Amino acid sequence: MSSDRLNGDTRDSPTDSRVARQRPLYSESQVIMTTVKAVIPFVLTYGLFITFHGTSSPGGGFQGGALIASVVLMIAFAFGIESTRAWLSNTLVVVLATLGVAIFAGIALVPMLLGENFLDYTAYYPLLGDTLGLKKYEFVKYGMEAVEIGGIAFIVAGVLMGLFFALAAGMTPTSETNTVGDGIGDNANADTDDTGEVSDATDAGVSDDTIDDSDTDDATDAGVSDDTIDDSDTDDATDAGATDDATDGGDRQ
Amino acid sequence: MSDAVLPLLIALPLLAAIFPPLLGLRFDQTGWPVAMATALLVAVLAGRLAWAVSPGSGGPRRFVHELAGYPAPYGIELVGDGLSAILALLIGVVAVAVLVYARTTGPDSDAFYSGLLLLTGGLLGMTLTGDLFNLFVFLEIVGLVSYALIASSDDPRAAYGALKYLFLGTAGASFYLIGVGYAFVATGTLNMRDMAAELAALGYSDPLVQASFGFILIGFMLKIAIFPLHTWQPDAYTYAPDTVSAFISALVSTTAAYALIRIAYDVFTVQFFAANPLITDAVLLVASVSIVVGSLLALLQTELKRIFAYSSVAQFGMILAAIALQSETALFGAVIHLVGHGLMKATLFMGAGVLASAYGAHTVADYAGLAKRAPITGGMMAIAGLALVGIPPSVGTLGKWFIALGAVEEGSLGVAAVIFVSTLLTLTYIGRLLETLYFNQPAATDDDPGVTDSVDDVDDGASMVADGGDSSTATGIDDIAPVATERVVVVVVLALSTVALFGAAGLFAELLDPVFGRFFQ
Amino acid sequence: MTDFLGVVTTRHAYALFVLVSAIGLYMMIANENLVKKIIGLNMFQTGIFLFFVTSAYRIGGAAPIVEHGAGPYVSPLPQVIVLTAIVVGISLTAVGLALTIRLYSAYGTLRADALREVIGDE
Repeated sequence: MSSDRLNGDTRDSPTDSRVARQRPLYSESQVIMTTVKAVIPFVLTYGLFITFHGTSSPGGGFQGGALIASVVLMIAFAFGIESTRAWLSNTLVVVLATLGVAIFAGIALVPMLLGENFLDYTAYYPLLGDTLGLKKYEFVKYGMEAVEIGGIAFIVAGVLMGLFFALAAGMTPTSETNTVGDGIGDNANADTDDTGEVSDATDAGVSDDTIDDSDTDDATDAGVSDDTIDDSDTDDATDAGATDDATDGGDRQ
Repeated sequence: MSDAVLPLLIALPLLAAIFPPLLGLRFDQTGWPVAMATALLVAVLAGRLAWAVSPGSGGPRRFVHELAGYPAPYGIELVGDGLSAILALLIGVVAVAVLVYARTTGPDSDAFYSGLLLLTGGLLGMTLTGDLFNLFVFLEIVGLVSYALIASSDDPRAAYGALKYLFLGTAGASFYLIGVGYAFVATGTLNMRDMAAELAALGYSDPLVQASFGFILIGFMLKIAIFPLHTWQPDAYTYAPDTVSAFISALVSTTAAYALIRIAYDVFTVQFFAANPLITDAVLLVASVSIVVGSLLALLQTELKRIFAYSSVAQFGMILAAIALQSETALFGAVIHLVGHGLMKATLFMGAGVLASAYGAHTVADYAGLAKRAPITGGMMAIAGLALVGIPPSVGTLGKWFIALGAVEEGSLGVAAVIFVSTLLTLTYIGRLLETLYFNQPAATDDDPGVTDSVDDVDDGASMVADGGDSSTATGIDDIAPVATERVVVVVVLALSTVALFGAAGLFAELLDPVFGRFFQ
Repeated sequence: MTDFLGVVTTRHAYALFVLVSAIGLYMMIANENLVKKIIGLNMFQTGIFLFFVTSAYRIGGAAPIVEHGAGPYVSPLPQVIVLTAIVVGISLTAVGLALTIRLYSAYGTLRADALREVIGDE
């Protein structure tokens, strides 16, 4: 990463930026904190509602997942990005995104094991029709719901959360400068906090906002570094379900 | 039940892409084993598919898998015929080769391997789909992951190359989407087979149909990097890490060209081109210009990866010309050239990567006398370079020969002349490279650890971990860093394969016969 | 082009699609700021989505869910296409912005012409 500094870097970034930028992202605003504290449960419920209602009203996995991610974003804006990141733990974000893909792929591939086509929900009927008390065609509806809720919403929420923390944490990929550099991130926080741990996590995390080959091997790296890659998972999930992941799949019934 | 292979080929790499980061939470170094296992599995499945569509297996020559059981045109189809199987096999083989190469090179993060797997899945999706919008989605997946992979280098210029590619590539995919939108408005269906019938019923002089093809063509020209829409390619290929350059140059434009062939011949059939001679002539003209300009620009470059990038512009110009020629021979040559070019470019980029890691050689001048110190790698690059020129026996010869033959058969002597000129130009810059490799005296500072590159080499820490046995030098004293044997082995295998495929025209013909029969009826 | 006014009043959505896409494309090409280029990219794609959604519309059509009405339904397929394309567009914007941030941190500028000079010189 030191090569960054070799290449025509026109500014002495860390100190300049901290002097030049008087506009930190995190502000101790009582209004925001209180509002967020009051509003979050409702936003989360609304996000879940939109996710669950995807097959019979506008909505679905993607929209609901975005709303759920926005809950975390609001918390980050109100209470500080670094503390939210510490609270959220990268494991959750990574597991959320990968679990979503795994569930989607699982639901899609099991019909192939049963001899039917890929994503053929009606193949579950002989297996689960009696236990769940559903008719054959109803499996299409519930299969789609399962894919939307357990697959797409998870993936989108995980990816958006991870992406936000990667992008918001600033830009400097160097680990030796020990700052968050001239990022839009928390200049106010990062250097006053436990710099060793925080900027380490930040740097390692930030260094992979695209996929860099950072040689850190802590979980932050592996986790956060995945966002821009896993966002293509969204496409994959959206696509691999043919166009069936559509929310108003009216013509499928 | 061979049509079950089709969704598996696509779904497995995409599913496997979650394991490097997931396992990376607990364990170390999980990326490469997962990626390698998946790539091997994909290569085996692709081989199975190729065998299943070949006449030797006695089964149907074309497999169709309907997703979710919905029949076309209501559902999305996955189609595997001879043409798709060839491309799928190429993707599998190159993926395995690049992964063997990548173990000791290049970025080593879980995200990188995850990205490679996603890219493989996306490419296979593009190859095997039978639905126009599904093609768009996979096209975008491939593009997205390419942008991220190209930027995965320490060099910030890689981010610049990736961003440039992002703007141009997305514009291309969006133009393709507009084209699909026009076609959808005209016919009401998105399935390729169905749309061919509907477009025929609509008539090929309908401006909506013509406009649709125009947009689709421009979109693909941006993705394939045909002059004048090629400007992203040199920067992206040059600044990307060597592993990524090899993978992307071999496969991404190739699959986009395959998609263009599929759409031009399966959806807008040869009758469309017959009814629109203006479009055919325009495409021929642009392709010819691309061939000449690509070779000329390659001549002017000094940095090796840039030379190869511009040479790609010329080669794909040739393939576009072959598509526009509407000749079965030329199309046969185009498909062979797609495969051959993929292997040749992979060899060249990987070889350049080996020499860059070992000697810090980035420009042609740096290569002075390198053949003495790296006889094997130098030799393999010479073989691949000569194959690129088209000197027999090599797969490059086959491809160019059939394309030129098709041009002459169709009476387009101009295209044949252009191909000849481009061969001469290619001979010039490859010849210059070989001369520098073999006959020039190395610069006085033999053991000067090229300052600008020591950073890369130190960061290229993987090559420091290389196991013993550096077969790429005679003395080993003057190296910057030892290079793992397996990297050289991969280069050797790929280079030899370009020579071996010279005798494979019959195999290609077998697989492609029913496909071309349908295209050219 | 004989009935320009007729086209603009009855097919205004298509005219708008051309306008929005063209403006987005122009922003991508002519504006030197990287973030504005990304905004232009988004506008370009939004224009395309407008085209798809317009092509789906039927006058007097109901939402394509069987309980909502018995009349003609608007076509659901282009809506699904647009949904997927929106997701794709978001991912592209995310990758583009991440790359822009990286470039900014390395070179300290968001201007494409400055970057072209600096990188072209190396």
